[in-house]
Amino acid sequence: MFQRILVANRGEIALRIIRACRDLGIESVAIYSQADRDAPYLALADERICIGPPPATESYLRVPQIISAAEISNADAIHPGYGFLSENPDFAYKCRLSNIEFIGPPVEAMRALGNKDQARKLARSVGVPVVPGSDGLIRSDEEALRFARQAGYPVLIKAAAGGGGRGIRVAHNDAELLSGLQTAQAEAEAAFKDGSVYLEKYLDRPRHIEVQILADQHGNAIHLWERECSMQRRRQKLVEESPAPNLPDDVRQAICEAAVRLVKAANYQNAGTCEFLVDQDNRFYFIEVNARIQVEHPVTELVTGVDLVREQIRIAAGEPLRFTQEQIRHQGSAIECRINSEDPANDFRPSPGKITRWLPPGGPGVRLDTHACAGYVVPPYYDSLVAKLLVHQPTRAESIATMRRALAEFVIEGIKTTIPIHQQIMQTPEFIEGRVDTTFIERCMLPADKARRLSAG
Amino acid sequence: MAEATERPNPFDVQTIRRLVELMARYDLNEVDLNQGETRIRLRRGARATGSSQTGTHGATTPAPAPTEQPPAPTVVPGSVSPPATQPSAPPTTKLIPITSELIGTFYAKPRPDKEPFVKVGSQVKPDTVVCLIEAMKVYNEVVAGVTGTIAEVCVDNGQYVEYGTVLFKVIPS
Repeated sequence: MFQRILVANRGEIALRIIRACRDLGIESVAIYSQADRDAPYLALADERICIGPPPATESYLRVPQIISAAEISNADAIHPGYGFLSENPDFAYKCRLSNIEFIGPPVEAMRALGNKDQARKLARSVGVPVVPGSDGLIRSDEEALRFARQAGYPVLIKAAAGGGGRGIRVAHNDAELLSGLQTAQAEAEAAFKDGSVYLEKYLDRPRHIEVQILADQHGNAIHLWERECSMQRRRQKLVEESPAPNLPDDVRQAICEAAVRLVKAANYQNAGTCEFLVDQDNRFYFIEVNARIQVEHPVTELVTGVDLVREQIRIAAGEPLRFTQEQIRHQGSAIECRINSEDPANDFRPSPGKITRWLPPGGPGVRLDTHACAGYVVPPYYDSLVAKLLVHQPTRAESIATMRRALAEFVIEGIKTTIPIHQQIMQTPEFIEGRVDTTFIERCMLPADKARRLSAG
Repeated sequence: MAEATERPNPFDVQTIRRLVELMARYDLNEVDLNQGETRIRLRRGARATGSSQTGTHGATTPAPAPTEQPPAPTVVPGSVSPPATQPSAPPTTKLIPITSELIGTFYAKPRPDKEPFVKVGSQVKPDTVVCLIEAMKVYNEVVAGVTGTIAEVCVDNGQYVEYGTVLFKVIPS
């Protein structure tokens, strides 16, 4: 087992990893940029090292700085969290070269699944259905047009090196397709250093359903059931839950088994998530694998009782999985609301600054994962996630009731947050009835706000 | 019997504790108070700077060695100031710090058997190499980035440094 783990991240996930280390009796080393030097969770780590100035590109994304920090602090493993370097094969490789264990998948699996076009090919090879799409990367305008006309518009142009909702454009006709291809390739080149793109049919109002998996270094792989993440705005998740409401059991079973089949084919290890779209006829299609722990992992922890971050550490240390598939039981209903420092009344504009008042919710069935507190200054340089508010109850109706209570208890002043939009979601009939899709928020909730604001003058 | 003194007594633990709390609350690194014949100077150290104490002096109270986070009280009766762990520059000159941008091990000498790159009093120009920082088996040369005279060497040979660690202080010319 490791003696010391360097946490190569910040904010709530850094705190989450530090807690898992403490539970296991492992020392932790926290890194921080100058913007995070007063972060409260740093005091919980056994050592803390400043790795750069505020911008992420000069701190949390700087591979040499982070590896040096691991060396001088004698860390024998690095946990990359999510975002930042968590899916960077070069970083994972350099850890390996420096004899530091990377808590995540092997470099080869990361590379194989990191290219979304390759991942689709792998899925098809093991009988996992994929979203109807181009046969590989698009090499010419003619090829793109041919696919689009055969599959039917609208189509999605997707960067092969993208992921997490980034590098995607919609085209509704030939003209948009051709100009979209140019722009998408340029953007992908700039953002991911890889301009290759492929096409997918744009599914009509799909649900986003993903499967959590764990795989060890001994060939064992299990799923921990699904999460539904259809409540999105601009492809960023706002609310996640498990189980997916109104999903037939046989479909659920098939999706989960497909996920395990896929990660086994990729020789995947550690924690990961397979993402699928489910259409209105309950047919499912693979879109991508997230080869890391995810923001919404606590949803699965609540309904299965498995501590995923602790299992990540155990797997990386070479231990076999402690559970068989049969032992992973799904219990109750869990919902997570992502509380971001954004102003929903002003197009979700970021709202960094000092939190002047902080009254967190609590009580039965409530879990709050956050690094923030009264007096904490949310820096402007990083993502806007301030807290993850979760509830877990025996039924979905009870979970929604508890979430309403918890949101009403939660007071955050000094910054704007997305609490109001979550309160609205918890009152929205379609959400309550479990009849939403990935277009719902933008189609039904936000334009209404705009209309109301306009009419109010 | 001696009447209760109304002046704050620098040896009074309560006063010192209060000053320490104020320093933490307002994020002060140094507090230097003079009142008549008594003086208190409290300094909050950064992570193990390890600058060497230059020994005691004529005052009756030896200065304790600086520790890590808590302030190191230097209580000096009278106006004799202890020899400088502070630079000997006149107090009005602003010193320019040379800070580390790398994380690794600080080396003052190009090789163990050679002289250090610079010492207190060395003249530097912006491209003068002042030290090495070894990171991931690579020895990186650190240049001064400023013209002036080295006033203070703030880290020890072989010490680990991080981003922002002050390596040297320079009197600019």
